[in-house]
Amino acid sequence: MLKYTVRRFLEMLLTLFIIASATFFLLEAVPGDPLLERVERLPESVAQNMYHKYGLDKPTIERYFITMKGMLKGDFGESVRMPGYDIHQLLKETLAPSARLGIQSILVGVTLGLLLGIVAAMFKGTWLDYIIVFFSVLLISVPTLIFGLLLQKYVAGEWGLFPIIGWPKGADLWFGGWKYTVLPTLSGCFSYVATYSRLLKTSMLDVINQDYVLAARAKGLSEPQIVRRHILRNAFIPIITVLPMSVAFALTGSFFIEKIYSIPGFGRYFIESVQARDLSIVLGQTVLMAAVYVAVVFLVDILYTVVDPRIRVGGKQ
Amino acid sequence: MTETILEIKDLRVSYDTYAGEVQSVRGISFDVKKGETVAIVGESGCGKSVTAKSIMQLIAKPGRIKEGSSIVFDGRNVLKMSKKELRAYRGSDCAMIFQDALTSLDPTMRVGKQIAEVLTIHGKCPKKEAAEKAVDLLRRVGIPNAELRAKEYPHQFSGGMRQRAMIATALAGDPKLLIADEPTTALDVTIQAQIIDLMKELQQKTGAAIVLITHDLGVVADIADRICVMYSGKIVERGASADIFYRPKHPYTVSLLKAVPRLDLTNKQTLATIDGTPPDLLAPPAGCPFSTRCKYCMPVCKEEMPGATAFGNGHEASCWLHDPRAPKVEGLFCETKEACR
Repeated sequence: MLKYTVRRFLEMLLTLFIIASATFFLLEAVPGDPLLERVERLPESVAQNMYHKYGLDKPTIERYFITMKGMLKGDFGESVRMPGYDIHQLLKETLAPSARLGIQSILVGVTLGLLLGIVAAMFKGTWLDYIIVFFSVLLISVPTLIFGLLLQKYVAGEWGLFPIIGWPKGADLWFGGWKYTVLPTLSGCFSYVATYSRLLKTSMLDVINQDYVLAARAKGLSEPQIVRRHILRNAFIPIITVLPMSVAFALTGSFFIEKIYSIPGFGRYFIESVQARDLSIVLGQTVLMAAVYVAVVFLVDILYTVVDPRIRVGGKQ
Repeated sequence: MTETILEIKDLRVSYDTYAGEVQSVRGISFDVKKGETVAIVGESGCGKSVTAKSIMQLIAKPGRIKEGSSIVFDGRNVLKMSKKELRAYRGSDCAMIFQDALTSLDPTMRVGKQIAEVLTIHGKCPKKEAAEKAVDLLRRVGIPNAELRAKEYPHQFSGGMRQRAMIATALAGDPKLLIADEPTTALDVTIQAQIIDLMKELQQKTGAAIVLITHDLGVVADIADRICVMYSGKIVERGASADIFYRPKHPYTVSLLKAVPRLDLTNKQTLATIDGTPPDLLAPPAGCPFSTRCKYCMPVCKEEMPGATAFGNGHEASCWLHDPRAPKVEGLFCETKEACR
């Protein structure tokens, strides 16, 4: 197991390196000049200086090695679009709101989704099942944006139950100002509710038809006992594949929700930085996201072996 | 030995499908006495597994046991049991061994725990004691290093050991009746013999009755006291093991016996087969279901189902050839095993 873990860790580093390189060259391949807007009206010599400052006067390959070397030290370089900023400062200011929103959405969404999935599977073919399926399809096919706006208009605007926009700051950053977080969390959790209820239902129905469920019934177990002891554990295997991906996705921010509710999060920088060809920020974000994902995949593999003994590497000696 | 533990009367099971009602079991009756082994033999789709599941009340939608059927276990009607009574009945009074032990064991639960589960849910003993008993049971079914093995998962067991573990699970509740649904089909021949020997040995020790479902007459020969031959949802012949093997009275049974591979065949001889396929149970024939494949088919066979003709000692066969008006067929119903070859 130790050998396996070490190997997986080295593989993770390699993956990150490849992703960073790919990002660099992809961004390099995009036509345009990141500094163009800023240097347009400056004298030639100042512009030269500017290019020199960001290292943009050097050939691509040389810049690639400089960037990679800096990355190893955790230095992604200064932002071109926002002078004086680098990825670390940006993260420090914006990651917390995004992460809190993500965690809350995931917790609420997945819990609700799994519960509904169990109910739908156990009452398959009844009106309860149909209602859950109906809402799953509705929640998954209508974009977050629409729900966000509707909640804002009715729940916050007309009924005045919650603030329309805003996000807790300062001391309330993580555990306070709950009323600000209710609507964004709701908007964020819908897709998880839909995804997980459907996923668990399908998975449970698949497991219910397995011989060992029939065997469990023949042993004299009651239906709730069968669900608890045999069905859920087996039905969770596909969930474990998807869940950590959702967590990684949620932690790194949601563009729409952050925009609608004016949350000072990290999601909107994704698109803006790519548009501005702001290499340092794009690279920083990509590597961060990739790191989270790769770590999550690693975690999934470890988790798998806990739930499904068949995958345990090497087994007990 | 004469007390009846299980009595099935006119059992009819149907599956409602989009194409219509599939009549899997079409009115069968048989009984099982305490401590005896009754084998139900027949080819795929003849309704033998459905019969086994019916005894455990495990028929799930779209299947249903039809009105008028009766399954009486030890004086209690299984079909009228409440959910609670059923739970107490399953696993404790009556246990089942399934065909494929790999898929019938939960892949994510330790084998020992799966056995102990039977004990704990029936409230027979507390968790810790159940775990010890599970190890004991594994030892009883001949699994070496039972203590270590109990902590392993099904995928770490070989095919034969899995079936042993299944048997241990079935024995855990100390059942009076054991239903073995093709317990040896997924195993290779040497392991088959071991499993059958194990079942025989355990039956002698526990005194449980066994209903053995199989398509393999070779398996049956060794263990069954009585045999019911099923075809298209009906029992076409029944009798003591020796009567079925040495004095078969139904053309289907004769064909089945001929189809058992034998060691004294030369490699030039082809294995005997039964041509044709069983009738579609969506629209079962009015007459004898075997008539389309029977070499001795007469006009009456297609029109009306024959009644059972008794030959003494509980040996019965449903075939028009035994009607006094039927012509005599030479060499079909052989009197000795030699003649049958």
